[in-house]
Amino acid sequence: MNDAAQRLGLRLGMPLADARAMHPALAVAASETAADRRLLDAVADWCDRYTPLVGLDAPDGLMLDITGCAHLFGGESAMGRDLLARLTAEGLHARAAVADTAGCAWGVARYGDASLVPPQQMRAALAPLPAAALRLAPETVEALAEVGLKRVGDLVDLPRAPLAARFGEILLRRLDQALGLEDEPITPRLPLPSYVAEQRFPDPIGLERDVLATIARLAERLGAAMERRQDGARLLQVALFRTDNKVYRIEVGTGAPLREPSRIARLFADRLATIGDACDPGFGYDMVRLAALVTERSEPAQAALAHTGHAAPDEDAELWHLIDRLGARFGPRRVTRLVPQDTHIPEFAVAAVPAARTTEDGGRTTEDADASVLCPLSSVVCARPIRLFERPEPVEAIAEVPDGPPARFRWRRVLHEVAIAEGPERIAMEWWRDDTGQALTRDYFRVESRDGLRAWLYREGLFGRETAQPRWFLHGLFG
Amino acid sequence: MSAAKPSAAHLSAVGLSTAEPSAGSRETLNALRRVVAGASRSGEARLGLGVASLDRALGGGLAKGALHEIGPAAPRDGGAATGFAIALAVLALREGRQAIWIRPDFIAAEAGELYGPGLALMGLSLQRLVVLEVPRVRDGLWAMEEALQCRAAGAVVTELMGEDADLTATRRLALAAGAGGGLGLILRHRPCRAANAAMTRWEVASAAGERDGFGGLGLPAFTISLVKNRHGPTGQWRLSWDHHERAFVTAPALSLPVAATAFDRSSRPQLARAG
Repeated sequence: MNDAAQRLGLRLGMPLADARAMHPALAVAASETAADRRLLDAVADWCDRYTPLVGLDAPDGLMLDITGCAHLFGGESAMGRDLLARLTAEGLHARAAVADTAGCAWGVARYGDASLVPPQQMRAALAPLPAAALRLAPETVEALAEVGLKRVGDLVDLPRAPLAARFGEILLRRLDQALGLEDEPITPRLPLPSYVAEQRFPDPIGLERDVLATIARLAERLGAAMERRQDGARLLQVALFRTDNKVYRIEVGTGAPLREPSRIARLFADRLATIGDACDPGFGYDMVRLAALVTERSEPAQAALAHTGHAAPDEDAELWHLIDRLGARFGPRRVTRLVPQDTHIPEFAVAAVPAARTTEDGGRTTEDADASVLCPLSSVVCARPIRLFERPEPVEAIAEVPDGPPARFRWRRVLHEVAIAEGPERIAMEWWRDDTGQALTRDYFRVESRDGLRAWLYREGLFGRETAQPRWFLHGLFG
Repeated sequence: MSAAKPSAAHLSAVGLSTAEPSAGSRETLNALRRVVAGASRSGEARLGLGVASLDRALGGGLAKGALHEIGPAAPRDGGAATGFAIALAVLALREGRQAIWIRPDFIAAEAGELYGPGLALMGLSLQRLVVLEVPRVRDGLWAMEEALQCRAAGAVVTELMGEDADLTATRRLALAAGAGGGLGLILRHRPCRAANAAMTRWEVASAAGERDGFGGLGLPAFTISLVKNRHGPTGQWRLSWDHHERAFVTAPALSLPVAATAFDRSSRPQLARAG
């Protein structure tokens, strides 16, 4: 419902047929709950500039806990005016009220005309307002109106027990919450960061260079704050507040607790380099905030006294920094370590796990154990290839006997004569992974062709038992 | 480090004598040349490959902190080229540090993925390997430059298809390798002859390997050709990688039985030799 409709005397909740009867030329648009919700989210995102504690009050409200924040904006009423002025500039109609309790502010914002309720004056502020200002269900409001209780003031001094018996516990709870007799915390939309540093600009900045310089400055403040408490950041976020009330949030994860300012700045430089196009500075940013969302304890490292064979701590830190930066640029999933898995199916024997997630000492084995876990066979030669095709490549192979090793095979249109073949190494599929029951046993052969090509071939299906026409595949290449 | 001070002193001495070098200044100049030569030699750490003739050709081993290029002699030798790159990485990692392996996405379909168990068997511990997959070749080169500058990276391998990485790109990589001190390897999957800034270029072909004592597969053999060498001769070698010792061994030219079979035992000569 827009202003024009309101001037015509239409009301919210009025049946559409009635409205049409009054004004046949009425243009009707279906309400878009999802779009409204997105708008509310965007506004909430933007309100983050006032306080990190922003709670959603769907479908049409926001709760801001401005405890300790208001003085930054010149006091509570100045802050409220600033907020409303900025929202109005965006074409949004909004009402705001500041009060000691969330319930009171809710009621005053919607039904009252004051914008600021002085401390401890909730009762006086609420008394003249209709009962609906207590956040009650419409039925309760109607039931109250039937017995003549139309204003909050009518309710406040009534005996509590009969009220509760007649209208339910919720009425008393709302009343208590509004008057500050019962505590009501605001649930923040976003996790509260442990460390925050922010910078506001009277003149908006737009150049990437300026943004990065700002981040570097903020990182120094953040780093110093974290060092005092011996914390390091695992997840960092930069929020860029655009002058026209759009907010970009850029997150970067780290593999090890980090508080080195230059490295934090470098991570964001890499991240911005990849997603730079997605952040359109428009008329510029007037506020930049750097926050450590997840932190971890990190003791100051002692410099190595002597080279002990293990990686020096600073070398370790450098590796983590490299992994973080590559992850920031390409996404953490692309920077991996290969971790052995407990299976004998060749293609699942190792899994690529994001390097940032594998801890250094978790599951560290000696290097020899490493090899024996990965391959059960001990052999003169390496029993496993160094390159494995994700999809085994079909080859035409000829064997002297149906279940014997191949004598020659054609791979990628080149015919290879087999000089030596070792095998078979029979690998049956794991039935507990196999949904269809169609997986066939494989007989693997390590073969060397006359010109030295070493390949890992397998025949799918046991001849005569599982299939009459076994097919051949090339699965990998040896070094 | 100690070379820095005397060279500064000599430099001022040289600067005074401009037109005709006197005997004293010539002496100074020679001393200065020795200092410079010594500094450049000590600045280049070498990675010995363990094969005398090969190390001699390379002037003491493969230069660390430099860029080297490995390619297959023919497209089917991709496995052998990969094996050679892994072997070099294993050698480079003997003193600690990590290997970073960078691979553009499309390589996997063409040449196969890197397979952990095989790498571990060749001696490259999976705990010391970081694999990075990049969407484009350009990203791979960027990542390689970054990784080479990192002092924690002992070896950085980047897989490329054919002609990628021109003179400018490889020059940047070579400088980065010099800064970080790690071994930079470009592993190509197609033969490439274009000029670039790599210190050496190797072409690897798989060769028929040895037999073990029972006529089965022995150690794999490569024929490696050093086709470009900035500071020495080129040449060709036949090597095997011994994954137990984690070292290169010279492969015999032909796989013949080493010892003669016993005269009076006609049956199972190979078994008799093996026993």
